[in-house]
Amino acid sequence: MTRNTRILMQCIYWAFVLYLLVPLFLMMLMGFKDSKFIGFPIRSWTLDWYLGVFNDTAVVQALGYSAVIAVVSTAIALFMGTWIAVALTGRSFWGRAIILGLTLLPAVIPGVISAIAFRIAARVVGMEPGMWAIIWSHAIHNVPFVVLVVMARLSTLPKSYGEAARDLGADPIITFFRVTLPYLTPAMIGGGVFCMLLSFDDFVRSFFLGGYEPTLPVLIFAKLRSGMSPEINAISTIVLVLTALLGLWAERSMRGMSKRAAND
Amino acid sequence: MTLSNAPGKADRPGFWGRLSGFGPYAALTEVLFASPRRQFLVLLTIPVIWVFVTHLGPILQMLNVSLLTNYPPSPNKVPSYTLEHYGKFFTEGIFITPFIRTMVFSTVLTLTTLIIMYPVAYFLARHVPRNRQMLFLMLLLIPFWVGEVVRIFAMMILLGNNGALNLVLQFLGLTERPIPFMYTGFSLSAGIIYLTALYMLMPLYSALEKIPANYSEAAADLGAGPWTRFRRITLPLSLEGIASGCTLVFLISTGMYATPVLLGGPSTTLFSEVIAGFFHVAGDQWPVGAAFSCIMLLTALAVSGGFNKIMGHLAGRVKK
Repeated sequence: MTRNTRILMQCIYWAFVLYLLVPLFLMMLMGFKDSKFIGFPIRSWTLDWYLGVFNDTAVVQALGYSAVIAVVSTAIALFMGTWIAVALTGRSFWGRAIILGLTLLPAVIPGVISAIAFRIAARVVGMEPGMWAIIWSHAIHNVPFVVLVVMARLSTLPKSYGEAARDLGADPIITFFRVTLPYLTPAMIGGGVFCMLLSFDDFVRSFFLGGYEPTLPVLIFAKLRSGMSPEINAISTIVLVLTALLGLWAERSMRGMSKRAAND
Repeated sequence: MTLSNAPGKADRPGFWGRLSGFGPYAALTEVLFASPRRQFLVLLTIPVIWVFVTHLGPILQMLNVSLLTNYPPSPNKVPSYTLEHYGKFFTEGIFITPFIRTMVFSTVLTLTTLIIMYPVAYFLARHVPRNRQMLFLMLLLIPFWVGEVVRIFAMMILLGNNGALNLVLQFLGLTERPIPFMYTGFSLSAGIIYLTALYMLMPLYSALEKIPANYSEAAADLGAGPWTRFRRITLPLSLEGIASGCTLVFLISTGMYATPVLLGGPSTTLFSEVIAGFFHVAGDQWPVGAAFSCIMLLTALAVSGGFNKIMGHLAGRVKK
């Protein structure tokens, strides 16, 4: 590549970084504006909006509600996803491609359609809209991501480990818990945090399957539709910081763990 | 790698040793793992049931409801099967327009995202030193941990009439009155690209990163110019990344709901908003919504499937 195209590409990269980060930065900034109306210029500053978030019971409740949904749906997705990945790795049998295709299906269905399909299915089986309906839809939507991450990790597990365990008299269940599962842990933590973020941030499924209690994204959406105020900025900023911290922590711990696993 | 129990503890039976000596457990494993075939069936039964019931089930139920005359069931109307809801889509023009708009819009946005993200991914994979690639990638990844609604809101602050962009434009004297960016195709596109760019970046980056640098060097030694090297080496070898990136972005942008509601206006109504409308109003509109969802799902999967087939064909020709 010539020098000029390289500089051009560098410019595009940094322009894109600005495009991604500037709106979020402005959003944080606007939370400090001492006025009810969103928009520039900011003439006086206040911390009230940020402090107010913690006194707003609706927001705190929604935060807790979203967190519970994220944790429970992730636990289900990890359990099923790992099981499916273990069952599908290293075997070839009739219908494997069909099972794999169906496993990945929830990840490729456009968001609205998946939400509506879940809404209809919940109605058909008699499940009321509410927490369990949301958890159930998030878990199903997240299974494919767990399967992909765990399968990738599983494909690097030397076959001899399992064989050695079996030669030493371990049955398949014990082999799984003492050989396979410890090896999969970094992938499961990474996949799990990814699922938690997906669930915590999900809007469309929570919107269509939710009852009267809103999850945090649904609450922000409702507030946005009824009018913008710096309060939403403060809420969004807190959500942003929480999710970014969780993401960064997962990224670090996952890299650390796979490095250690590679060294051992 | 380390196992949970250190070897020193082996002389005393640990939890697992005691478990395998435990009568009922031993009897159970005896039955479950009697032969490799049975072991395989035990392992596979639950995943197969899960996948068919929960992954495929809701889609089939949606298909079923789309063929019913009325749903949710009411005591005085017994549902029977009909195709009228599908007919509604083709006969009433007000539904076709948002549908075509969604498909064209998603296609154009997918290509735009590709054109923007290709140089970014190329720069990251080829020009940033290995040890700093993670840092440069992080800068792009952090915003994607933030939810859809929050990012749309951030976009609204940037593009609003009192937004930062208008402030800058007015300050520079490029415009006197604020330009109404919001609730137009522009704000909607900016929002969708903002939300989907990562799904284009990651496949492109991993495809480009795999291409050995000496391919291009060898071609340069043989006298190929930069454009030829790109067209004959880099582009063909990154086709798979292009294919998966485009598929993901296309499918995600057709299924967006909060974005068109918040960033779009009356002239940019997308099909997802039309479908959602049937589920908001009380009454027996569900079958129509379900039928429209089926039409959209089939079209979206057919378009991305066809696209992947063509790309696979092209990538196959490269390998030969």
